[in-house]
Amino acid sequence: MERMHSRWLMLLAPAAMALMTVGQYFIWIYAPEEATMGLVQKIFYFHLPLAWWAFAAFFGVFVSSILVLVTKREDWDVWAAALAEAGVLLSGLALVSGSVWGRAAWNTWWTWDPRLSTTLVMWFVYAGYLVLRAADVGGAKAARVRAVLGIVAFLDVPLVFVSARLWRSIHPSVFASKSGGLEPEMWTTVWINVLAWGVLCTALVLTRYHGMTLRHRVEAALVRMQEKTLQ
Amino acid sequence: MIGHAMAVAHKDLRLAFAHGQGPVQAILLGLLLVFMFSLSAQPGERFTPQQGVAIFWLCSAFGVVLIFSLLFRFEEENDTATALLLSPLPIQGLWLGKTMAGFVLLALCQVFFFPAALVFLGLDPGGSLGSMLVMVVSVDLGLCILGGLVGAMGHGQGAKDALLTIIVFPLQIPLLLGGIRIGVGLMQGEDLAGLGDWFGLVLAFDAVFAGAALFLFPHVFRGE
Repeated sequence: MERMHSRWLMLLAPAAMALMTVGQYFIWIYAPEEATMGLVQKIFYFHLPLAWWAFAAFFGVFVSSILVLVTKREDWDVWAAALAEAGVLLSGLALVSGSVWGRAAWNTWWTWDPRLSTTLVMWFVYAGYLVLRAADVGGAKAARVRAVLGIVAFLDVPLVFVSARLWRSIHPSVFASKSGGLEPEMWTTVWINVLAWGVLCTALVLTRYHGMTLRHRVEAALVRMQEKTLQ
Repeated sequence: MIGHAMAVAHKDLRLAFAHGQGPVQAILLGLLLVFMFSLSAQPGERFTPQQGVAIFWLCSAFGVVLIFSLLFRFEEENDTATALLLSPLPIQGLWLGKTMAGFVLLALCQVFFFPAALVFLGLDPGGSLGSMLVMVVSVDLGLCILGGLVGAMGHGQGAKDALLTIIVFPLQIPLLLGGIRIGVGLMQGEDLAGLGDWFGLVLAFDAVFAGAALFLFPHVFRGE
């Protein structure tokens, strides 16, 4: 299994690099400049994939957490950790890019918008989840506690979204209309960048999973060595 | 299960008041918060209904953390958690009992928070008392349902259970927003039917997390 992950990583890391390079070409050269917002609109090609993959990663934490409880296998807990780290990183970047875009488009760094607010709340929840992981809250039942948190955190997503939408919104609905108000070239650029960030995100998760698994093995080996020394 | 839950709630409430303390810590913290927030306004200046209701729910959110920390601390003394787990009590009954006890203690705290908010923040309660009660009960239910589940995660963790607050508060956001918006609406003379979307959201929160807690509580509160 370890070898298979390494092989995937060897494949995905260069693929991510190549796709990100192609993505930059599409953003800066191929896609036309948007008429109203101009160059600032290019942030959209980073912002959207970051937000989508962050939510995909959080969904991954949810699924992995269910599998921890169902299968009692702790490697799902490691997957949940790797996915949560990726999700927090990507959602953090999505928030920063969204804020910069908001400043240019709406003349404000922050606004109470369903998508922005949901992303921020989820960032808080999963950043908290990572802090709890690092503090090893739960002791002997730590993996189960983390799994329950991973499930509960994702159950909150639709509720946070609806509450933020009821509060108020000025976020553009890119996908509300059939064309989304985007030119076909812009759509192509969007999908290429979604793919590029997806591959990069997968490579990141695999790297972290691999690293954490190795750390656990080293820690277990150290414990065994200490036990032998004591004997 | 309801009978068992009532027995657990009764036991917890008796223990909570056994030393004449009850939720004193939570009440004092809430009153302190109301007073400290009142300092942010100029003398004679009134808080807007939204600010006042938000402060009220913030006090309640902090109160829930202290209340459930207290309720689960009872099971650490003399390892009564093991006794409860070995008893024929369904484990979900234990969660329900804790939630019911927490609900009573939170309501008691709010009996103090409410007049404090009126006095210190200069709020005008207005609106129908019945609708206010329905709103407070439905939001309190959600706070306690989540509190009962998260409290079990912090059980036996010593000081580490305080860390759980960093995940509890963001989880409570939809509920607190609902409480704030319904509270403001009622104070401004709207009826519950006009705030149906928000009320539906609060009830959805209660239902989703009650279902999740029934399924998940046995995973976090169990013997090793």
